[in-house]
Amino acid sequence: MGGIQKKKFERGSATNYITRNKARKKLQLSLPDFRRLCILKGIYPHEPKHKKKVNKGSTAPRTFYLLKDIRFLLHEPIVGKFRDYKVFVRKLKKAYGKTEWSTVERLRENKPTYKLDHVIKERYPTFIDALRDIDDALCMCFLFSTFARTGKCHVQTIQLCRRLTVEWMNYVIASRALRKVFISIKGLYYQAEVMGQLVTWLVPYQFSHDHPTDVDYRVMATFTELYTTLLGFVNFRLYHSLNLLYPPKLDSKAVSELKEDNEDDYAMNSECYIEKLSALSASLARVVSTAEEEEAELDQFPVDGEDMEKMEAREKEQKWQEAQKKLFEGLKIFLNREVPRESLAFVIRCFGGNVSWDKSVCIGSTYEVTDETITHHIVDRPSIDKQYINRYYIQPQWVYDCVNAKILLPVEDYFLGVTLPPHLSPFVEEKDGDYIPPEKLKIMALQRGEKPAHEQEEDSEEEDEQSEDEEDEDDEEEVDEEEDAEEENLKKMEEQKSRGKSPQVKVTPGKVKVENPARLEQEEKAEEKRLAIMMMNKKEKYLYDKIMFGKKRKVREANKLAAKRKAYDNAEKAKKKKTRK
Amino acid sequence: MHHRLACNKHHQKKTKKKKRIMAAARRLKRVIASQPGFLNLKSTSDPADLVSSRRKRVNKNKKKNWNKHSDINDVEEFLEDVRLQERTTGGLLSEKSDDSLFFLDIGQPKKTEETAAEPVERKRKKKASRPLRIDLILQHDSLVPPPKDVLAYQQPNAKKIRRIAQKAEQLAAKGVVPRRQKQLLKRRPVAKTTKKAVTEANNNPDREYYDIWGLETKDSGDPWYLQQTGKKLVKRPERLNEKPSVLPAVEVIAPGGSYNPDIFSHQALLQEAHEVEVKKQKEEDKIERQLAVNKADTATEETIFREQVEGLVEEENEEETVHNEDEEDVAVGGIALGEKKTERQRKREKAVRIKEQQRLAERRQTGQRQQLFQLRSIKVSIRQQEQKTKAKQKQRKAKQEAQKAQPRRLGRLKFQAPDLEVQLSDELAGTLRRLKPEGSVAKDRFKSLQKRNLIEPRERAKFKRRYKLKYVEKRAFREIT
Repeated sequence: MGGIQKKKFERGSATNYITRNKARKKLQLSLPDFRRLCILKGIYPHEPKHKKKVNKGSTAPRTFYLLKDIRFLLHEPIVGKFRDYKVFVRKLKKAYGKTEWSTVERLRENKPTYKLDHVIKERYPTFIDALRDIDDALCMCFLFSTFARTGKCHVQTIQLCRRLTVEWMNYVIASRALRKVFISIKGLYYQAEVMGQLVTWLVPYQFSHDHPTDVDYRVMATFTELYTTLLGFVNFRLYHSLNLLYPPKLDSKAVSELKEDNEDDYAMNSECYIEKLSALSASLARVVSTAEEEEAELDQFPVDGEDMEKMEAREKEQKWQEAQKKLFEGLKIFLNREVPRESLAFVIRCFGGNVSWDKSVCIGSTYEVTDETITHHIVDRPSIDKQYINRYYIQPQWVYDCVNAKILLPVEDYFLGVTLPPHLSPFVEEKDGDYIPPEKLKIMALQRGEKPAHEQEEDSEEEDEQSEDEEDEDDEEEVDEEEDAEEENLKKMEEQKSRGKSPQVKVTPGKVKVENPARLEQEEKAEEKRLAIMMMNKKEKYLYDKIMFGKKRKVREANKLAAKRKAYDNAEKAKKKKTRK
Repeated sequence: MHHRLACNKHHQKKTKKKKRIMAAARRLKRVIASQPGFLNLKSTSDPADLVSSRRKRVNKNKKKNWNKHSDINDVEEFLEDVRLQERTTGGLLSEKSDDSLFFLDIGQPKKTEETAAEPVERKRKKKASRPLRIDLILQHDSLVPPPKDVLAYQQPNAKKIRRIAQKAEQLAAKGVVPRRQKQLLKRRPVAKTTKKAVTEANNNPDREYYDIWGLETKDSGDPWYLQQTGKKLVKRPERLNEKPSVLPAVEVIAPGGSYNPDIFSHQALLQEAHEVEVKKQKEEDKIERQLAVNKADTATEETIFREQVEGLVEEENEEETVHNEDEEDVAVGGIALGEKKTERQRKREKAVRIKEQQRLAERRQTGQRQQLFQLRSIKVSIRQQEQKTKAKQKQRKAKQEAQKAQPRRLGRLKFQAPDLEVQLSDELAGTLRRLKPEGSVAKDRFKSLQKRNLIEPRERAKFKRRYKLKYVEKRAFREIT
């Protein structure tokens, strides 16, 4: 009781926050400058928990910053530079008004600029921190590099973005880090694994810009300013990690190969080099020229038992990945002029393929159409006049699908004029029990090394697979399931009979049923499981039933979808037949 | 002063000299004109015309009057004529040879043969070689050559400069370097590189990068000194390295957004987009419904009439209401009145109160004694309560987690999710070549920044004119109409 009366809004959350305008006044900056500073330093507005308390009793929506953050900004040297710039602009205007050209020139020479190096170092204390945040930087740089060189932003920014993205792509090629590609209606999504970090970025299609009006380009340009600095430093570090020269240089061998007489037709001398780099067709020069990177082998540790198994699995995985990296090795691919050159060249080179294009499309083509050793010719038109016998003419989706499937897919589905199989998103990861489209199942089968067969067999395969899945889920009913499967087969045969088709008659030699020890073991395990279930108390049993019910429901739904798909496919087939007739 | 005078004198002398020379020329020309061989281009004006008015008498003993009243028309005309001749023919006609003035007329040249030989080609050539009319107009048509610019050939102090140059050459041959040059050479070269680094912009496409993470921070001095002079960078608080949202930087489009999608995933995406649209439509409909005019509120003839008549017809209700109000006032006043309690009453009430308190205390005590036997059920209830709070905590935490992925309210405007990029089944292109990109990546990135709470949602500033535009009809325009 008694004491001095507490005043409102002088302690607690009201003192922790500051409104944007107050912060701006405290820093003596204009609003655009304040915004820039916040973006560069990574200070973001904060939504207070109790707005009314913070806003002195008012509930009007406002932008708040944490007071401590703003205090931190007060120490930033860039703030001083912003103020200098303001003064510089004022002086320049004055000089212009008085037509004092010498003054204008002098001022221009001493234009205040600032560096963001310390900001980068401060925001990303380690290299890995920077790599984790590189997604945004890549997206932004790729976006800006495709902008037309009109007044939307500085031409220099566009050039810098282009340079950095080209460097990045060359790094991904050199390190063979690309993992996934997805052609969407919005743009191209790429995913690469760089130093153990998954990096995803989005590249817009070329020439697809209509500048939307509700985008604040000033804000975007500020982000880009920060991200170009970041990406440059990251590129530098990445290049050095691969022993590559940093401002990237083409291999001396490649340089001599690419030397052409009519270089001047493509670009000016100064731009020629970056154009060649951006063609992505040549490898880069290394600091220490090694003939071939020796394969780094996993260290062997003496281990026993379970660890051994894990170790083996890991080794297998490693080998599989290595093989995947050499997916297109040995292939000689030629790009026709209507396909997206940069994207395809990038993807193909990422997996070790040779790629070339017509001389008039872009600089840096390495061989011509007439080359007899070309294995694949990528075309995106219904038919082509002059065809060579010893090469496949395929549609561009083949390349992307191969990358996502991690194997070379059969080319038959991708020939000219053939309706393409759907391009599935590699970013979807199905859990067991989810519906998986039949195309993916096919690819999975191919990955396991099974040969693609005729369609009828395929269907049965699918069903087998599903039954297999079910088996995995509930082993307890394994035996019943098998019987079910047999019954199903019988039913199917009957159906086929009733439809009037002659059932496929196969005479198979009888087999002696051998007591399979593995099988016995499995049965034993199943028995154990059943007993364990029996021993569960009420609560656990309830939970278990619930989980199993959920799983079954999922399977049921997936089955429903699969049936639907089958019906759809059949309908499509029927339609096709009709049209053929 | 002296100098100026001298100058003036000099000037006068010069003008006099000029006059003398001009007069001589004039005389010469007049002499020529008087000769019988001279040809006038213009017919001389009638002398009677010149002396049409009455002759004026003027004093000729003043120079001013000489200039004013002497008739120099004939001279002027003559000179004009000479100039014309010079301009058109390049000299006086009288001095020209006959050959240059006359030619022998042989009749029509034989055109027909030549034209027959190459009629088409010639025509074309002529057309090509004919100069533009504008060039013809602008052509220099006088035959008098432009006067030489004497100043272009003259150089002030030419002799002196020549001499200096000769001497310098001699010295250079000997190998002697002049002092001025020696000093220039002695001067240290300005470190240009440092200046360049200062003025290099961040977006310079050729900028250099270095290993920023590899370098150890160089301790360039006493930390105390750096701190006190404000040169030490303040350590960034850890809190700032947390991201304001858990959303990934790049959200990959749903599998239905493939350029050649699987049918089910495409349908699923369409369904999603459809639901969004339906929701929007519902909201719009709701607003429309709320804004709709109520039929009962519209004016009918009856209501209009009543409104017009209102106040004209006296009503008796008013008086009644006034009466009612008076009564209420009385009632309110009555509350304040109360009878005083007697001493006895007070005592009794107090006793009752104490008794009640005692009873309650006793009851509480017995209750507590009884609770000893209810320990079990109490324990159960406590446990239940704890469980409940735990569940609630969990729920709250889950909600908070979910909130982290949501865009926050950071300003005046709420975040508005961008439209889903969707292509209908008939818009889908079968091949990559015919693919029509949907949506804009720039917008996608911008919205992503907003969604991750990095920037607050804003709308484009509207252009507001400070003063009204005034329409003024221009004069040129008015003349036409």
